[in-house]
Amino acid sequence: MVLDIWSSLFGAPSGDFSSTVIWILSFVILTAVSFLWAPRIQSMMVLNDVKKNLQKLTVLKDKSKTEALDYLTTTCKASKEVQPRLEQTLEYFTIMPVELDPSGIVGKIEHVTRLQDDRIRDEIRRLAPQADKVQVSVAQNILEVATSLNMVFKIVRHFFIMGQKTKSIYVLIQLQMIMPIIIQEADALISAIDAFKAAQPIGDGLGPMVAGRFMLGRDPIEVERETVYTKSEYKGRNLLVMKAEGPMGTVGRPHIGLEKLVQDKTNNVSSIIMIDAALKLEGENTGEIAEGVGAAIGGIGVEKYRIEAVAVNAKIPLYAVVVKQSLIDAISVMRKEIAEASDKAVAVVQRIIEEKTKLGDTIVIIGVGNTLGVAQ
Amino acid sequence: MFPSIGEKRPKMPVFTVEDCPNCGTKTKRAFKIGDYVFKEGGECAKCHSKTMISMIFAELIQVK
Repeated sequence: MVLDIWSSLFGAPSGDFSSTVIWILSFVILTAVSFLWAPRIQSMMVLNDVKKNLQKLTVLKDKSKTEALDYLTTTCKASKEVQPRLEQTLEYFTIMPVELDPSGIVGKIEHVTRLQDDRIRDEIRRLAPQADKVQVSVAQNILEVATSLNMVFKIVRHFFIMGQKTKSIYVLIQLQMIMPIIIQEADALISAIDAFKAAQPIGDGLGPMVAGRFMLGRDPIEVERETVYTKSEYKGRNLLVMKAEGPMGTVGRPHIGLEKLVQDKTNNVSSIIMIDAALKLEGENTGEIAEGVGAAIGGIGVEKYRIEAVAVNAKIPLYAVVVKQSLIDAISVMRKEIAEASDKAVAVVQRIIEEKTKLGDTIVIIGVGNTLGVAQ
Repeated sequence: MFPSIGEKRPKMPVFTVEDCPNCGTKTKRAFKIGDYVFKEGGECAKCHSKTMISMIFAELIQVK
């Protein structure tokens, strides 16, 4: 009777007693297993998925290291015994200042990050004394990619092993959820190496490219380390156009350059226009131009803070022009759409000058970004 | 908020565009190591003036 009801409910073959019993037994066992072992089975599946991605990260990390070594030995003419030193350089770390008392923290962060920058550059010069300025900057960019991938790999591996040890589904699922984004970012970093090695302009170089248009035919003056500016005129306005010194792969120090230009009372700066590449949101078009106000500059925040402070203290309006692009486009060889947007960005800057400033005003134009492959 | 990371790009050929400041002729050629934007280029095919590199970019070539 019971078997008949069961069979009619769950569709086991009726009439054959032994097969029905087997069917019920397997159903009970499967239910018990799924109740008792489901988290463990899920953990195993997640572990397997994360493991595959970790293997991919290992390949990318090793590739970046090989590329860095290859660039140092082939292009920068470093000795073949450079590898142990390179491995050591990849492990360099930066201890960020304590945030318990935030007063003055920007200065502390700037001090530490500048020290890190100087140290890596000195290390490259020591490894490859024959390399020129552009090669040193390219090697530094490649090393930054390799260091980032090394760090990402280590963090993912840490959580993977922790998940393995604790068998905690919660640790593993969080890792699994973020893995596609981590892999995409790692792919983006790896694709940047090709552009760096050939010293080709990258998407982030759009700002320096626009500034460079305003600097053509003028002698650049060094205002700060790896940062230059020129003096020119446009429709009765005085232009002070600043960018990082190209064609090296550097972003320069535009914040300090701006401080110096504004503090020089003979300049009497009345407006600041910043041009930069901006990361687009999904659905926005690559090369789209947007205008706004505020300091158009990325990074850790030190440069932005100091530029804002200069503008606020001197009550100077800050205008921003950005060109939208994805992360991959920003760090890979400049796409045609972005290069062509530079003409439109120049026109936007000219319009802002005409509409927002008066005859005789002095305007600082800053092209923000990595100026690799873009001179002035 | 995560901005767009973008799609993985296929290997794209890189081109250099040289502008002639005299007659405005634009010449597109394959990128060569050592090229950079605003570098003095070769001779203009039309007016024989010195050209200047105005753009370097990667372009996806559509195969028909």
